[in-house]
Amino acid sequence: MRLSLWTATSAALLALLLGAPAAYALSRYRFPGREIADTLLELPIIVSPAALGAMLLMFFNHPLGVWIENHIARFVFTVAGIVLAQFVTVLGVAVRMLKAAFDEAPVELETVARTLGATPRYAWRTVTLPLERRGLIAAFILAWAKAFGEFGATIRIGGTMAMRTETLPVAVYLRLAGADIEGTVALILLVVIGLAALFATRKLLGTAFRA
Amino acid sequence: MLEIEKLTVEVGAFRLRDVSLKVARGECHAVLGPSGAGKSTLLKAILGVLRPLGGSLRIAGDDVADAPIERRGLGYVPQNLGLFPHLTVRDNLAYSARARGLPPKEFQPVLDELVAATGIGALLERYPAALSGGERQRVGLVRALAGRPRALLLDEPFASLNESLRRELWWLLHELQRERELTVLLVTHDLAEAYFLAERVAVLFDGRVVQQGEKAEVYGRPAAPGVAEFLGVETLQPGRIVGARDGLAVVQVGTAELTALAASGCANEVLVSIRGEEVVLDRGGGPTSARNVLAARVVTVRPGRPLVCVELDAGFPLVALVARPACEELDLRPGVAVTARVKAPSVRLIPRENSVEDAGAAPRPSPPR
Repeated sequence: MRLSLWTATSAALLALLLGAPAAYALSRYRFPGREIADTLLELPIIVSPAALGAMLLMFFNHPLGVWIENHIARFVFTVAGIVLAQFVTVLGVAVRMLKAAFDEAPVELETVARTLGATPRYAWRTVTLPLERRGLIAAFILAWAKAFGEFGATIRIGGTMAMRTETLPVAVYLRLAGADIEGTVALILLVVIGLAALFATRKLLGTAFRA
Repeated sequence: MLEIEKLTVEVGAFRLRDVSLKVARGECHAVLGPSGAGKSTLLKAILGVLRPLGGSLRIAGDDVADAPIERRGLGYVPQNLGLFPHLTVRDNLAYSARARGLPPKEFQPVLDELVAATGIGALLERYPAALSGGERQRVGLVRALAGRPRALLLDEPFASLNESLRRELWWLLHELQRERELTVLLVTHDLAEAYFLAERVAVLFDGRVVQQGEKAEVYGRPAAPGVAEFLGVETLQPGRIVGARDGLAVVQVGTAELTALAASGCANEVLVSIRGEEVVLDRGGGPTSARNVLAARVVTVRPGRPLVCVELDAGFPLVALVARPACEELDLRPGVAVTARVKAPSVRLIPRENSVEDAGAAPRPSPPR
């Protein structure tokens, strides 16, 4: 459970941190390769998580992946691998939601802020970000809930090492396979958490700040 | 102060072509044009939101064509005012100083003075959503001025207000502009607004400036039929120059003959343009200095504010704008015979071949003397 909370939070935060600039660029600018970037970011939403996990595994068997494993950080069968798998699976959802939030933010307010002397970064921090705070929180909650329940990619890259790479969904899988009643309880807990996250998201988006 | 030369901007399939404008220091210059003419595109290019394909842009002598928005020294009030909804009026007004990292003692006196001049002192702790339309306009104006811009760009900022509030704010802006010698570029499709606020006017059609000059000259002497229609000239009729008399042109319009100032560079086929307020109606035949005295019959009388619109048959359709008391005194109603008097300088001739496309380049008739 603790591992699940930790990895889901890390993956969702990473998705938000890296997804926000990407979503902002997709929302505000027209640049060559924009459509390709948009499609690539959509890929994790439509591709099966199991296939994504398999792709990650194949990547880490590739010379570049092996080099990363040896020189930067180990991902295969580690907690970092789980975070990576969850991050890859939730990035698409996070970017979609963030882009929708930035699409709603009036571009004109940023222009006005800049005519008042704000640099693009200052305008983003003081105008766009506060106005889209609820959208960002909603994106984080959904990404977190999706990461928390992620199974297909996680099991492929993290494996099923008890107490080391055993996230809640993996534990559920293992317990159910052994006809363990605790697995069922954990499953219910997962569903409850997911529903609560969705409810919170809907509430936040429903009462989003309007100019 | 603001010098634009041959500015070309492309947005999708739309192109703003070779736009040249000069706004002198302390002057209010209006850019008029119908929807889709490119007014907002022009403003965005001046602001730095859109990158021009060509041309030059100078503010107070500095070439700012490549400068980022925040370094151009321009104040901007968009149509929706762009007040930050998550900040109080006080924080909205102080935004410019904070963005530039100015200490309060440097900006507060200017801000206090502006707040007092516009009467928004009681609104400082409110959020924009709690302001009325007029209050929002004042806050938007003060915020733009608080940054001490070199020029102020206004994009139809009064469009959403009712008539009386709009006029009140015109006066406020007019006073601010006069007292502080503000350089203002106002984009609007409201002729009355442009006429009230601006000294000079440019008419933008389909991405091109088709006419610009002193407001009275542009209003009185539209360069092309399209411009005349846009400027709301009440009588616009085809005519033909049939002769000259005492140095004036004689024009056949319908079954009537009108005397107009001779126009150089004008072909025989013309459009005759007469402003409704320059047609004087009476029921008798008293002495007059007007060259054109036309026997006419009232066709319709349409009450309007502030003037009544009287459509006449004077051998051609002629429209007069008459004050309500005059209308009642003359007992103007359909079928009544009247005399319409129009001075020769009030009959303007527009070359009929002038389309809006070539109006900018076409030879201009000589000005009336």
